[in-house]
Parts: sequence; structure tokens; C-alpha cells
Amino acid sequence: MKGEQNVGGLWCHQVLTLLSDYLDGELASEQKRQVEAHVSRCQQCERFGGDFARMVQAVARHAEPAELPEDVSRRLTEALQRGR
Amino acid sequence: MLAQDPAHPQADDVTLLEQAHAGNRDAFTALVARYQAPVFRYLRTLTRTPQEAEDALQQTFLAVWRSLLPDSGAGKRGEGSVRAWLFTIARHAAYRQGRRHAGEPDTLESLESLGERAGWGEPEDPERVAMLLEDRERLHAALARLSDDDREVILLRDVEGLSGEDAARVLDLPLANLKTRLHRARLRLRAALQQEVRHEG
Repeated sequence: MKGEQNVGGLWCHQVLTLLSDYLDGELASEQKRQVEAHVSRCQQCERFGGDFARMVQAVARHAEPAELPEDVSRRLTEALQRGR
Repeated sequence: MLAQDPAHPQADDVTLLEQAHAGNRDAFTALVARYQAPVFRYLRTLTRTPQEAEDALQQTFLAVWRSLLPDSGAGKRGEGSVRAWLFTIARHAAYRQGRRHAGEPDTLESLESLGERAGWGEPEDPERVAMLLEDRERLHAALARLSDDDREVILLRDVEGLSGEDAARVLDLPLANLKTRLHRARLRLRAALQQEVRHEG
């Protein structure tokens, strides 16, 4: 990446690698602190990381609702009654 | 009709499963009512047609019922949530239906190259990106462009909300591999959205 820099003890490409683990709360506290220190002073990573986080949240928000057509549900019930 | 069972409105999954295991059919019915729709949505991702998804749905819950029988020898759920256990059974049922792709290996594209396709290091108009993320149709179009494996891991973690450990169990992957697959899938989704931005521009 253009403008790759080492901020807060991490290079931009290292932050890219850690983004999902950061969002999912799976980083050890020291690494979490390093990511936060980096993005607070690296505009590119702050922008991309924020964007990436919003996308992950949007996927859950805009997911197709889990709906079962009534006829599929009815046939499932029938299959289970036959199968029991 | 499998209506929500009013006798079990708050019963947690493990309690329902234990009751079903003890021969309580109402508990089993409540469990089916709770999970039939999410399991069907998952199966739609894994199968080629709605009919295959429906067949796999029936096979899933029949397999669950049989596993609860005292002499089945398969009643033990093992580690993880009931939800993950159900999804694992559903996945096996989908494979028997002839799943679209059977876990093709991920490409060897470097994470940085993938990141760049996803807009890492590119100046972008934040308002435009925000608009894009709120466009449900466009997000679905981007998801549709992903491979089945990418869509599956995103569905399990980001839509169904399974923990990393549970998703790894369903996909039969070590946790570290699950995390890598999820991160790459999310980056590819971001790259697919990026393409949408470019098309628009």
C-alpha cells in the first residue's frame, strides 16, 4: 500500500491482517492496544478499518430474514410425523 | 403446523434438547419451530435449488429426531451450542443433496492484494461508502458474487452470530483457519462492494 507506515508498533499491513480479530474481540489486550494506537494516528487505516467494521455490521442488519414458506413448514411437519 | 409452543417460550436450547431426549415430543416440536427457518436459510446457501434445501431440511430434523432416540447411540451432542450442532447436521444433509462446491481451496492471493481490491489505501468518499452499505440490494448483489465458501462463513458468523468456536465446529476447521477464512471472505465482500462503487462511478 502506498504510504505504508509503522505507527503504534504496527505496520499498516499488520493492521489489515488483524482487522477481523480486532472487530470480533479476539485480540490479546496488548495487540488490541497497538491496533487502536495505529488507527488513531493513521488516517488510511482509520478510514478503511471504520469502513470495514460498518460493512460487517451492515451484513447482519440487511440479511435476508430467516423465513420459512408455510408450505415448506407444513411438509416438514408431515415428514416428521411420518418419520417418527 | 409447527407453531411456537407456548409451553416453552423461554426454555433454552439445552433444556429443550434434554426434554426431547427424555421423550418429550412437545420439546422437540418447539426446537423445530425455533430453528426451522434459520436452518432453511443456511441450507439455501449450501444447495442449488429450493427443493434440495427443503429435502435437506427434512433430513436434518429427521436426523435430529433419530439421534434423540434412546437406542440411537448418537444422542450425544458434544461440545458447542445446540445451534451449531443443528447447523452441522444440516451441512451433512446438504452434502448428501450434492452441494454446489465441496470446499474448494482458497486462492493464494496475498492478504495485501486482497486488501487493495477491497479499497485498502485508496481515498474514498465516506458518504458514498456509507450510502453503499445501506443499500440492501447492492449488498446482496455483492454477497451473491462471493464463492459458496465465503458466503457460508459470513452467514454463520455475521448473520447467524455463531461464535468462532461454533462456526469452526460446523465447518470442521481448526479455529485459526476459520478466522483466516472469515477475514478473507469479508475482504472479498468489501472488494465486491468496491466494484459496485466503480460501476456506479
